[in-house]
Amino acid sequence: MLGRGLKRKLSDYEENMAGLSSAFDSSRNLPYPLKRQLVLNMCLTKLQTYKMLVEPNLHRSVLIANTVRQIQEEMRQESNQQPISVCPGITPTSHSYTGMESSGISLQLPSGISQQESNCCDLRSVEDPLENSLLIVSDDDMSSAISSILKDLDFVEDISPPTCLVPTGDDQPKFPENTGLKLEDDRQDLKGAECVFGSFEISNSTSYLKDLAIDDIFEDIDTSMYDSDFCCPPLMPPRPPSLATEEPLKTFPSCNSSPASNIQICRTDLSELDHIMEILVGS
Amino acid sequence: ILAGFGNLMQDVLWCFSQVKGTIDIGVTEADIISTVEFNHTGELLATGDKGGRVVIFQREQESKNQPHRRGEYNVYSTFQSHEPEFDYLKSLEIEEKINKIRWLPQQNAAYFLLSTNDKTVKLWKVSERDKRPEGYNLKDEDGRLRDPSMITMLRVPVLRPMDLMVEATPRRVFANAHTYHINSISVNSDYETYMSADDLRINLWNFEITNQSFNIVDIKPANMEELTEVITAAEFHPHHCNTFVYSSSKGTIRLCDMRTSALCDRHAKFFEEPEDPSNRSFFSEIISSISDVKFSHSGRYIMTRDYLTVKVWDLNMENRPIETYQVHDYLRSKLCSLYENDCIFDKFECVWNGSDSVIMTGSYNNFFRMFDRNTKRDVTLEASRENSKPRAILKPRKVCVGGKRRKDEISVDSLDFSKKILHTAWHPSENIIAVAATNNLYIFQDKVN
Repeated sequence: MLGRGLKRKLSDYEENMAGLSSAFDSSRNLPYPLKRQLVLNMCLTKLQTYKMLVEPNLHRSVLIANTVRQIQEEMRQESNQQPISVCPGITPTSHSYTGMESSGISLQLPSGISQQESNCCDLRSVEDPLENSLLIVSDDDMSSAISSILKDLDFVEDISPPTCLVPTGDDQPKFPENTGLKLEDDRQDLKGAECVFGSFEISNSTSYLKDLAIDDIFEDIDTSMYDSDFCCPPLMPPRPPSLATEEPLKTFPSCNSSPASNIQICRTDLSELDHIMEILVGS
Repeated sequence: ILAGFGNLMQDVLWCFSQVKGTIDIGVTEADIISTVEFNHTGELLATGDKGGRVVIFQREQESKNQPHRRGEYNVYSTFQSHEPEFDYLKSLEIEEKINKIRWLPQQNAAYFLLSTNDKTVKLWKVSERDKRPEGYNLKDEDGRLRDPSMITMLRVPVLRPMDLMVEATPRRVFANAHTYHINSISVNSDYETYMSADDLRINLWNFEITNQSFNIVDIKPANMEELTEVITAAEFHPHHCNTFVYSSSKGTIRLCDMRTSALCDRHAKFFEEPEDPSNRSFFSEIISSISDVKFSHSGRYIMTRDYLTVKVWDLNMENRPIETYQVHDYLRSKLCSLYENDCIFDKFECVWNGSDSVIMTGSYNNFFRMFDRNTKRDVTLEASRENSKPRAILKPRKVCVGGKRRKDEISVDSLDFSKKILHTAWHPSENIIAVAATNNLYIFQDKVN
C-alpha cells in the first residue's frame, strides 16, 4: 500500500489499469458509480497523456472529451438531485483532486477512501489497486481538462510554411494564401497581437519564444546600422502605442518614422511572422 | 464469369492464392501496409505503407497451360510516394504514411493514381517504356554533347526496343490545403475533380490546378472548445458528380449536393440511427464513430463501418439502416479493456464486391468477415501463413463466446489484438480479394471448378 504523495511507477500503473479495465469488463458486481469513476479516470489520464504529445490526435481527443462531458453531465444531474453522493465511500467534497493542469497525474491515495466503511460500494470484493487508483475529480477540473486539450488543437493555419515539394514543372504553391475561401474567418481567430503566439502552440515543450524576452537575446548585437536607412516595410509597420507590451517582434528596432497607421494588427503580425520564419528557416 | 452475380455464399470457396511480404518475426514499422486498392479493371493492385512507399502489382495474363490458375499478381512498380517532412513552425513531423490510394480510370496507355499522407495529395503517373531512341545528332551514345562543328551529317533517330521499364513520376502535388489530417480522398465521376477530407474540412480540387482548392465543407467551430464532432470519411457518388457523403465521429452520415451552395455545410440528407437504449454504455459514442463509408457500385446504397458493426443504408431512407451486420459482437463485453489499450479507436474499412451482393470487413486475430446480403449468411476467414498452401481452401473460423470451446474454435480471450485487418479490397468484377495483414498482403481467389 503506497503512502500519500508517493508517485506510482508507470509500469505498475499500466498493469493496474489493465487489471482495472478487465475488472470492469468481467465483474457484474461493480457498482455503477465505481465503473463510472474508473472510466472517467481513464479518460482524463488519456487526455493528459495527449496533452503532452506534440500533436494530439484530434479524433480521439474529441471522442474522449465527449465521454468525459457525458459523465460530467450525469454526475451534475445526480448531484442536483441528491446532496450526498450515491456511494458514501467516495465523497467529492472532501477529496477533490486539484491541479489537473499540472503535468502528470500523481495517484495519491486520498485519505479515507480505503478506510471508510461502505455498504453499497463493495470495495472489499475488488482488489486494493482499484481503490488506490480512483481519483475524485471535480466538475471544473473535467471541464478545464477538455478545454485545454481542445484549445491546444486549434492551429493557426495561415502560418504553415510550404512543405518540401517534388518539382513537377507545374506551378509551385506559394505561401499558403491558397487555403480556399476561409482565410478571413481564420484571421478572426486571432484576438490581437499577443494571440499570434497565444492561440497556437509552437509546441508544448519548447515555448521558447514565449518564455524568453526577445530583447535579451539580441542584446549584444550592434543594431546601429539598422537605425537610419534600413527599411523593411513588411517587417516593421508602425504600431499604435496602445498595443500589448508582450511584443515578440521587438527584435528589429523600428526604422519607420511615419505616423501610426491603422493597418490591421493581425494581418501585419502574420506577414512579419512569415518573414521571420523565412529568415530562420533560411529558405 | 461475373463473380458474385447469382453466387450464393455457400457456393463460394475461398482459396489461398498468393502472399506478399516477409515472414520475419520482427516487423519493420515502415513495412506495415496502410492502404490497398484495385484499379477499375482489376488489372492493377496498389498498396501503400507506413514508410511512404507505393507498390503496384499487375495481374499476369492467364496461361492456357494452367487454366485453373487465374492470373497471378506480380510486382509492376515500386516507388517512394511521400517522404517524412518537418513543419518548422509547429515543430511537428509530418508522417510519410500513405493513408489512401485512389485510382483514376484509365484514359490512355498510362495509369494514374492519387496517393495521400496526412497533409499532401500527389498524382502519380505510371507508364511503361519499352523503346528508346537511338541515334541522336547532338549527343553521342553516352549522352555527352557532341561538338557541333564535328558533325558532318544528319540522321533521324530510330526507336529501338529495350527491356520493359515501368516509371512512376509525380505529375501534380496538392499541398498546403489541410491543417488537420487527411483521412479520405475520392475521385469524382467527372474525372476532372476530386476531394480530400481531413478531420474538420473537405476540399475540392481540379486535377490541373495545384495551388488552389475549394473548401466545400467546414465543421470547425469558432471556438475549438465547442468541438464535439469530426469528419471521419468522405466519398463521391459513383455516378452523380454533384453528390458526396461524409461520415462523422458521432455515427452520422451526411449527403451533400454541391449544386445547392458553394459551401456544403448544410446537408441534403442526414442519416442517423436512433440509439438502442439497451446497449447503452460509457463507450457508446466511441464505438458509434464511423471509420469508413463506401457507396455501392450501383450508387443506391452506402455502407458504413463502426467499431462493432457494418451497416447498409438506402439513400432514400435516412432514419435507419436497412441492414446491420455484427462483425465481432463478442467484443461488446470487453470494451473497457479495448478502450484502455486503444484498440477501440482502430479504424476498420469495408468493401463491396462487384455486384454489391457481398460485403467484407476485417477484424482481429487476422480474421476477416464476409456477409452475403441476399442469403444473410456470413463467414469468418483467417489470413495466416498456416493456410498458405497454393490453392488451399480457407476453412471458416469461429470465435466461441461462452463455456464450451469446440475443437477448432478460438476463445475471445485468446484473440491476438495486435493482428488486425484494417484494409481489404475486392476485385471490381471477379471473386479476388486482397487482405492486408500488418506487413503481408494476402490474395485469395474463389475456387474455379
